[in-house]
Amino acid sequence: MRRVSTITAAAVSTAALAFSLTACGSSSTESSGGKDKGVGLAYDVGGRDDHSFNESAARGMDKAKKDLGVGGRDMTAKNGETEAEREQRLTSLADAGYNPVIGVGFNYQKSIEAVAKQYPKTTFAVIDSVAAGSNVDSVTFGENEGSYLAGVAAALKSKNHKVGFIGGVNNALIQKFQAGFEQGVKDTDSKAQITSQYLYPNNDKGFNDPAAAKDKANGMLDSGVDVIYTAAGLSGNGSIEAVAARKDCWAIGVDSDQYQQAGLEKYKDHILTSVVKNVDVAVYDVIKSVKDGKPLSGPHQYLLKDNGVSLATSGGFIDDIKDKLDAAKKKIVDGEVKVRIAPQQS
Amino acid sequence: MANHDIHLTVRKGTVHALCGENGAGKSTLMKILYGMQKPDEGTIKLDGEQVSLHSPADAIARGIGMVHQHFMLADNLTVLENVVLGAEKLYGIGNKARAKIKEISDAYGLGVRPDVLVEDLGVADRQRVEILKVLYRGARTLILDEPTAVLVPQEVDALFDNLRELKSEGLTVIFISHKLGEVLSVADDITVIRRGTTVGTAVPSETTPKQLAELMVGEELPSPETRESTVTDVPMLTVEGLRLSATDSDGAVRTVLDGIEFTIHKGEVLGLAGVEGNGQAELVEAIMGMRDPDAGTITLDGAEITHLATRKRREGGIGYIPEDRHRHGLLLEAPLWENRILGHVTEAPNSKGGLLDNKAARADTERIVREYDVRTPGIEVTAASLSGGNQQKLIVGREMSHHPKLLIAAHPTRGVDVGAQAQIWDQIREARREGLAVLLISADLDELIGLSDTLRVMFRGRLVADADPATITPEELGSAMTGAASGHLEHHEEGTPPGADEGEGKNSPESEPESSPKAEKDQKNSPRNSPKNSPKREKKSSKNQKNSGKREGGDEK
Amino acid sequence: MKKIDKNKLILGLAAPVLAIVAAFIITSAIIGATGKDPFHAYQVMVDFGSKADSQVWIINKATPYYLSALAVAVGFRMNLFNIGVDGQYRIAAFFAAVVGGYFTLGPVAIPVMIIVAMVVGAIWAGIAGLLKTTRGVSEVISTIMLNSIGASLIGYFLQDGRLAKKEGNLIHTPYLPGSAHFFEFPTQTKPIYGFVVIAVIAGVAYWFLLGRTRFGFDLRTVGQSESAAQASGVSVKRMVITSMLISGAMAGLVGMPTLLGVSYNYGTDFPTGIGFTGIAIALLGRNHPIGMALGALLWGFLDRTGTQLEFEGYAQEIVGVIQGVIILCVVIAYELVRRYGLKIQQRKVGEELAAQASKSDKAEAAA
Repeated sequence: MRRVSTITAAAVSTAALAFSLTACGSSSTESSGGKDKGVGLAYDVGGRDDHSFNESAARGMDKAKKDLGVGGRDMTAKNGETEAEREQRLTSLADAGYNPVIGVGFNYQKSIEAVAKQYPKTTFAVIDSVAAGSNVDSVTFGENEGSYLAGVAAALKSKNHKVGFIGGVNNALIQKFQAGFEQGVKDTDSKAQITSQYLYPNNDKGFNDPAAAKDKANGMLDSGVDVIYTAAGLSGNGSIEAVAARKDCWAIGVDSDQYQQAGLEKYKDHILTSVVKNVDVAVYDVIKSVKDGKPLSGPHQYLLKDNGVSLATSGGFIDDIKDKLDAAKKKIVDGEVKVRIAPQQS
Repeated sequence: MANHDIHLTVRKGTVHALCGENGAGKSTLMKILYGMQKPDEGTIKLDGEQVSLHSPADAIARGIGMVHQHFMLADNLTVLENVVLGAEKLYGIGNKARAKIKEISDAYGLGVRPDVLVEDLGVADRQRVEILKVLYRGARTLILDEPTAVLVPQEVDALFDNLRELKSEGLTVIFISHKLGEVLSVADDITVIRRGTTVGTAVPSETTPKQLAELMVGEELPSPETRESTVTDVPMLTVEGLRLSATDSDGAVRTVLDGIEFTIHKGEVLGLAGVEGNGQAELVEAIMGMRDPDAGTITLDGAEITHLATRKRREGGIGYIPEDRHRHGLLLEAPLWENRILGHVTEAPNSKGGLLDNKAARADTERIVREYDVRTPGIEVTAASLSGGNQQKLIVGREMSHHPKLLIAAHPTRGVDVGAQAQIWDQIREARREGLAVLLISADLDELIGLSDTLRVMFRGRLVADADPATITPEELGSAMTGAASGHLEHHEEGTPPGADEGEGKNSPESEPESSPKAEKDQKNSPRNSPKNSPKREKKSSKNQKNSGKREGGDEK
Repeated sequence: MKKIDKNKLILGLAAPVLAIVAAFIITSAIIGATGKDPFHAYQVMVDFGSKADSQVWIINKATPYYLSALAVAVGFRMNLFNIGVDGQYRIAAFFAAVVGGYFTLGPVAIPVMIIVAMVVGAIWAGIAGLLKTTRGVSEVISTIMLNSIGASLIGYFLQDGRLAKKEGNLIHTPYLPGSAHFFEFPTQTKPIYGFVVIAVIAGVAYWFLLGRTRFGFDLRTVGQSESAAQASGVSVKRMVITSMLISGAMAGLVGMPTLLGVSYNYGTDFPTGIGFTGIAIALLGRNHPIGMALGALLWGFLDRTGTQLEFEGYAQEIVGVIQGVIILCVVIAYELVRRYGLKIQQRKVGEELAAQASKSDKAEAAA
């Protein structure tokens, strides 16, 4: 029997392989549907409702739908994706006639480059990264600058002079947050102690693992840290929840104004401020440019001076230190203070 | 069809023996009675009421319990835990259960201690735990599958006492065995099964073992006894000063073998008697290289092998018929031909260079199946689907096919039917004539005495006594196995049962003058022709006829 | 004999068919419960999945899956649960990428990198083997911990200024030179990674090693019965270490299709989790080289069509549910079929023996 099955199976698999090699049948991209369906938005892991990064992008799309009357569709990434899946997602959107197609998150850099070549008439945009291509708009933010202000606020608000930073994944982007925050704290309170930790060294799950963030935050709080800044996408919710369970401790949110978010309603009294990354503005800008027939391309930086990043004031918790924050902001805008983009090696 | 036209009536409050060869359909019948298998036709009535048993749970619910040939106990649990496992609802798992176990144990004289670990128990104790387990679940009818196969005579007697206790309390016992003497001594009724059907019933008081045997196999019982001595002067296996310690379950280091010294010559069968758990298994494992001795040397055919790897030893000519063929001798879920490779993967015809030669292995398996009369429809079936006797024949065939210099045979005929038993004995004898040295370990003392040229008794990890198989009786050997006797054992004349004697087994004054070394020497060098053995010699021819008859039948398939 | 063979074949096919049918019914019920039309979903999957570019995509996706399944299966065949394939392939790919990226290897770049990956994977898995044989640590525990340690190690080295370089927000090892790019099979649409050839070779090697060599026999023996293996002369401890090394070396290949065919560097975006997918596929394919190949392709198909389902408005998680349900059904179905087969076989042996017996009865009667 062993022999029979091996031979049959071998035959079947050979046939299958041959079938694939000739790749018969039509290609999925030949069946392309209409065009100008509006914006195609591909989220990073965590999905639309991450109360943070993706949600900010979604707001931009919603605003465009309302104001500009364009259509749109969004799709979400899974944990542990490969390049192939991202390319497929972008291809699906471009092929179906969505324009522009926006990849939310630097993970899309390479796939945008690859897919943009195939659809030269479609405008692509990638958030948080710089991708090559004449039909690609690369959007980056001055996270380090926003984080610097968060550092100033944290240093001023910490009673124990101990502040913490939690990053989702230890990558270049999140290090930008860390670098700015640490610099802001040190420039304000040179005696303050900073604890910086990451959830995962190199697994994107770090943006989608609130439980891990909660554990890390609790560890910091136990050691006396009373202000925690978390840059970890959806995972940040876990850290905020941990902070909210303690008295006199503050959480600093990221990407969206997390005070305003319904999902975090319960904890909002502990959200000192949020480093708002105006992804929605950038997304809206791209959509509008396409709608207007003058599609954006090339790198675009959204810095503090352009209000690409800012500190949220909702809740009024930082109103008392507004002067100091404004002074710090002015120094950055004027170029008096250069905010690092990578943390100082200690 | 494994069973057909079975008629069996068991009276309440009796011990009913069920005799027959393995593969004759006893096990299938038992499975049907225990609800493990459904009959295609026919009825089962219990207390006059027709029942249909769909599962063992059904059978248990109706008061039928089974004690399997292979114990179903978890070694790393205590007796109490094993007993309550799966029956937690009856008396809980705590003191109530413990009290119940004590109660049952006392009522039937089982002597079970609830809080010992099962792995620390000997075979007889484990069997009692199995019986208790069944009683604990409320069984009124007990099925015992070959319960004496693993016991020494004294233990068998104790078991029979237990069975009589059960009977007197009104319980019914179905007792499966092919040991005719035992059957006749304990049973109230006997039913004989052959080739899947009941061929007759007998009343013990009116039946002789001979009649019963004829009923069972259609001919007389074969004898394990050897024809003439083939012992030579050439040592094949020499063990000197062997000591082995092992760590037990509590983490304590115990010496399991100490001061073991013996030599097996070419053409000699050395029989090792002993109650199980006295170090025989460890000794075998030390010789096989599965355990590394602390001290001493093992020499095989002039070459020291004390610390050699098992595979090297096998290649060097040690054949091994393990005590537990399911655990050590077979891959149950693998086809027969893969089992033929097991243990000899580096040897021809199984492999060439580093590669398997499946074709040659298959062909050679066919040969073994043919020559050793392994009854199977083919070599692609799994080992698990064969009956115990046929599994054992396959193992014997496999080991003998590599022409070992030394054969370690641990309980070679345990759980094997009479026909297969005779064949296995023949094989051992034949190989011995060709100069094979055999280390034979068996709980079947008739087998041990009949096959061996030299006998040694093992007790608590030491070789405490030796005996001349020409004159010793099973009872005398049995008492030495329990530690009651040591030194050179002499046969008591006048038929004094040593068990009844106060100075049991100890060299009696009468026999003292005949010094032991001399007796041993004599026995090694002189052909054995004690009158006691001669009458049984003729049987060989009839047996051969039977085997050839079977072979013809086998060839037709 | 022929008869048994046929039965065996039918039984062999029964399990996967049973499992897939069961999975089909359960997922239909689930999709139905979410208020969508399950049959439309299947239609979308079949239509989209059979497109030419989908076929290429599926094969490319299945290649690392298959290698991962092979790595897991080597352990499975001897009852070792190597959960650490995930960590092994990542650390292997990382160091291979470092070697390929920093040293000018010219034409030998590809073989050197493959060997480095296999060696690193083997070492990483070998640690677990060593721990098991010397300290009795369960390989389940040690490999899963080694996954974490491996990830941290990579995280440490994968920093700008250590062994990696920064490109925008991506940090990765230097790009491999062109000589280290694996060949591709061009098709009408996208190319198929040439590494599929290595995967096929690995599959054949797996089959040959396990089925045709002494070593493979020893390995399977340990898997079926450790006690019988020991009695038969197999050194179980050495087998544990050796098979962990082989498993790890095989795991080392898992990252290679990506490294040598797609990314050309090891970066923060290097795929993770393939090791776990491998466990599922090894289960699905019952450790059989062909079965696992089909399993890997099925997984690729589900991955491919899952994204499309989302596009069609179905929940993306549906595919995850299908995958989980298939695994569950397969495990159950195989066990059912195995038991049934054993029963059938035992009955058959009994029947044939009875037939033989009655024949010889007649022979005796005639004589």
